[in-house]
Amino acid sequence: MRHAAVLLLDSSNAVLVLILVSLGLAIIFGLMNVINMAHGEFLMLGAYGAMQLGRIGVPFWLALALAPMLVGAFGLVIEELLIAKTYNRLIDSILATWGLSLFLRQAIVLVFGPGSYAVAAPDVGAVQIFGGPYPVYRLLVMALSLAAIGFTFAVFFRTRFGLAARAVVANRDMAACLGVNTRRLDRITFAFGAGLAGLAGAAMAPLISVDPSAGLGYLVPAFLSILVGGLGSISGPVVGGAGVGALDSLTSAFYSPVWAQLAVFVAVLFVIRVFPSGLVATLRREA
Amino acid sequence: MKSRLETQDLAALGALAPFLVLPFVAPTWLAGDFAMYFAYALLALSLAFIWGHCGLLSLGHAVYFGVGAYAMSVTTLGMIPGLASLRSTWAGLLLAIVLTGGLAFALGWFFFAARGLAGAFLGVMTLALAFIFERLAINASWLGGLNGLMNVPALTLGLNGGAEIVDPVAVYFLMLAVVVAVTAALRLVAASDFGVTLAAIRENELRVAALGHDARALKIRAFTLAGAVAGLAGALFVTQFGFASPSLIGFSLSADALIWVALGGRKTLISALLGALALRFLESRLSGALGALWPLALGLIFMASVVLFPDGLFGEAIGALERWRRRR
Repeated sequence: MRHAAVLLLDSSNAVLVLILVSLGLAIIFGLMNVINMAHGEFLMLGAYGAMQLGRIGVPFWLALALAPMLVGAFGLVIEELLIAKTYNRLIDSILATWGLSLFLRQAIVLVFGPGSYAVAAPDVGAVQIFGGPYPVYRLLVMALSLAAIGFTFAVFFRTRFGLAARAVVANRDMAACLGVNTRRLDRITFAFGAGLAGLAGAAMAPLISVDPSAGLGYLVPAFLSILVGGLGSISGPVVGGAGVGALDSLTSAFYSPVWAQLAVFVAVLFVIRVFPSGLVATLRREA
Repeated sequence: MKSRLETQDLAALGALAPFLVLPFVAPTWLAGDFAMYFAYALLALSLAFIWGHCGLLSLGHAVYFGVGAYAMSVTTLGMIPGLASLRSTWAGLLLAIVLTGGLAFALGWFFFAARGLAGAFLGVMTLALAFIFERLAINASWLGGLNGLMNVPALTLGLNGGAEIVDPVAVYFLMLAVVVAVTAALRLVAASDFGVTLAAIRENELRVAALGHDARALKIRAFTLAGAVAGLAGALFVTQFGFASPSLIGFSLSADALIWVALGGRKTLISALLGALALRFLESRLSGALGALWPLALGLIFMASVVLFPDGLFGEAIGALERWRRRR
């Protein structure tokens, strides 16, 4: 019973973080039609950022708040220098961000070395779950992820900015004709998406080993999540991330991480074979 | 109408000339190095065909390279159950090509079903594939796990083994012949009705389908061909390298291959091939001097070239030559 509860909690943790990462990827793709191959590296930067801020004496919770902002600001710079140059060239945006991910990984190796670091989790104690301790920090990460996901939805469905953003997703040219400043929207979206990845990285830093390839492991599951959930919708990655994350962490726990990867891949292969436009779009059409 | 040699074929012939004389003017070790780079060039050719010509982005192309390398190693090391005395390079090549072609066919069957995966998402699925195959190879103890398979025999021309070809110059010319043959064959395929239809699918798949072509079957066939060529590349590589390891199958070689092709130029086969040769050569020269700065510089150059030269460096050069020839 206790084993099952811990497993369920750990899986929920993985799922929520995956949704957070996929959400950033999905809004960047949905709005800008840019496939960001460097998204995993933004997560990695968030983790390193939190670590470095901690080293220079910034309290953990402040670092957790600052790291995503730094990554977001970095995203803003990248958008201006690189992404804006490859608009309307989908394949080139993949290549450019692929080059960026290579560059960032190597830059981190040069600055911090190729080894991995452990970030100490803040001492928030443990709670008793079915007679055993469970770290409160993991629960806080879950709450934080949920809040960030909720915040993203609120921004996109409850604000004027979100309305304009959804208009651009639906029809970019028409939105521009109606006076939406698409250029400004692109900048904010990219920075926001990068910030979400940075937040995921900073929050996960105490739970993972912080190394230069920390982001790579998230990139593929995040892409598979938005592939399963369907493109062009903000709820797609939530459904996809839940499915991919749950299958991945449960198979890892019961069999091995290798089989988990294979199981996820095969499952995704079958899902996109049966629902080519993603689960959410298919369900919505039938409803 | 007087038929003119196309610019890319002219460039290919021009590029061939220095490689014909290289072993006679350069030290032997350089010829040996280039013989190995030719195997990478075959991988680049395969990727340029499937990506540049057919528009199907494969971010995990090293999967076929690695499977081909393992197939060759398993065969010539006599590890196939019941066929322990088998040492034939030919059998290894056959197994490599059949396995990788079959793998690509099976994957294509899934990928291109129904509406099929569009460009970028095909890329993501193939990328996931590269991660999975690397993990599988690391965990497969019968394939040597993380250490891989060592002491893979060199090329032999006998029906079942025979004398190993170890002279670097001989291997060099053998590999050069294979590269020339594969380039010519892929060029012919690209110029055939089948190849022209593939290029049309790249430009507008819906229209090709509306004209009555089975786009899905054509794409699967092209995918299979590219997989088999990459498998051949891996099989030939491992006979020279002598060592099949999980690093041949996974993410980083796939990323390297993508960079060779994109930086060289994906539009023509020859520019991708030259991109692979040039970058491999530069890496062996510069990575010693630059050390960890090399991947950083490569990433920067790559980003800059994507923004400034979308057709790749050799691709832009061939384009310039083409325009110059037209003006005359």
